[in-house]
Amino acid sequence: MNEASRAAPGRPLRPARNWTLIIAAVGAVSLMTWWSARGIGFSLVELACNLPGGRRLLVESWPPDWSFFPRLLGPLLETLQIAVVGTVIGGILAIPIAVLAARNLTPGFLVWFVDRNFMNILRTLPDLFWAMLFAAAVGFGPIAGALALTVFTIAVISKLWSESLEAIDMAVPEAVRAAGGSWLAMLQFGAIPQALPHYVSYALYAFELNVRASMILGLVGAGGIGMVLETQRSTFEYPRVTLIVLSVLVLVLIIEKISESIRRRLV
Amino acid sequence: MTDKAAIRFQGARVVYPNGAVGLAGVDLDIKPGEFVVVVGSSGAGKSTLLRSVNGLTPLTSGSITVGGQPVPKKEGRELRRLRAGVGMIFQDFRITRRLSVMTNVLVGRVAHVPGWRAMLNLWPAADREIAFRALERVSIADKAWVRAGDLSGGQQQRVGIARALAQEPAIILADEPVASLDPVTTHQIMRDLVRINQELGITTLVNLHFLDLARRYGQRIIGLKAGELVYDGTADSVTQADFKNIYGRDPDAGDLLDESEAS
Repeated sequence: MNEASRAAPGRPLRPARNWTLIIAAVGAVSLMTWWSARGIGFSLVELACNLPGGRRLLVESWPPDWSFFPRLLGPLLETLQIAVVGTVIGGILAIPIAVLAARNLTPGFLVWFVDRNFMNILRTLPDLFWAMLFAAAVGFGPIAGALALTVFTIAVISKLWSESLEAIDMAVPEAVRAAGGSWLAMLQFGAIPQALPHYVSYALYAFELNVRASMILGLVGAGGIGMVLETQRSTFEYPRVTLIVLSVLVLVLIIEKISESIRRRLV
Repeated sequence: MTDKAAIRFQGARVVYPNGAVGLAGVDLDIKPGEFVVVVGSSGAGKSTLLRSVNGLTPLTSGSITVGGQPVPKKEGRELRRLRAGVGMIFQDFRITRRLSVMTNVLVGRVAHVPGWRAMLNLWPAADREIAFRALERVSIADKAWVRAGDLSGGQQQRVGIARALAQEPAIILADEPVASLDPVTTHQIMRDLVRINQELGITTLVNLHFLDLARRYGQRIIGLKAGELVYDGTADSVTQADFKNIYGRDPDAGDLLDESEAS
């Protein structure tokens, strides 16, 4: 920017920067980082000293143990199946929960209030918590994983979709009521069709998250590829761990690509 | 006296939560089979008048009876039963664009079939037949399986009319039905409404903005001003002075459809 354009009459002057605020913000963030790093004993020197250890781990982990692959197929498939079951059941249960939590569609304040808080509790607790809970309740294995993902899916879809439902045009639902339609008819013919593409999109998104999550869930004994990963890691079979990580990476990427291309066509 | 198609307003008053007065105590009798056009400037209470008949806007005080039955003030089974016999047509069509024309028209049957049938899309053959005949009456039966949102504005309003007809109503309420349409389509839709009124004897209340349309298509004209009934007479006898009284000013070209079309 040259002087002439800056001085031209009629153009507003660029407001002065608030340096005090900028310095205070940078200072506060620096202070918090220093305090936190000290608290967990994080030091760059130590990190550098330990680098050889990390290098050794990397060297030991390479190349992947391809011969182990046939034994991965079963657990990989199970991971996918856990994600499918969790997404479908959770996706169905999320429908009424989302509808009751949408302010414009809910039949009453009390229902809305209870449902909304229920939704918030589901969302606040992490998927690992649910996995451990269900593993304790129904035993280690894929069923615990599927149940944990069901809850996780309800949390994801109901929150996102209730917001889509709140954004719909209420004129059409009113026309259904004007024709003598019940609350359910109003939902079915007036409200839900408007937000249906969003629902499908969120369900696919939840499926992506679930495939990824079902690997972690295995670490706490909820079935799938994560359980194999945990066994191999605890017996220091690093080339096999590498193979597991790579195959999960490929699986997640494939699922994401497919889901993304469908979602892009929807909304 | 208990004809299902008669409407009686007695001291009908609507005050909105923000204090605005929709209806300021209206007394009015609509006889079965009448074709009534309601005129007035925007905010005069035309929509409120129509919406109070099927309880979409509840009265603050006074009463409305439809076929001798008072309009319930609360949502519920009784109000739904009343609405089942009152078709409504809207300025913005209010059809579900993503669903087929047929499904939209079948919405006019929801109050007449068991809920589970509507839910599972298992409509009785008799109701599908009613829906098809409603589409034929507005000449768009060929579009039955088209996505409603893919139709033109005039066609979408015909879907709205067919949905109202599918209710086999005693009364049709049309709230500015032509306000989002071009002049040619406007005349087509108005002729449809008049023809339906004459052929089926359905009591019809139409809100209109344009004076020439009101005079051309109305039998009886009702004028509202600030929520009050200020004119009630036949379309033939309405004068320029009456319109001036209703609108509080001289009507200009903007109040005439065919004038504004020319300009």
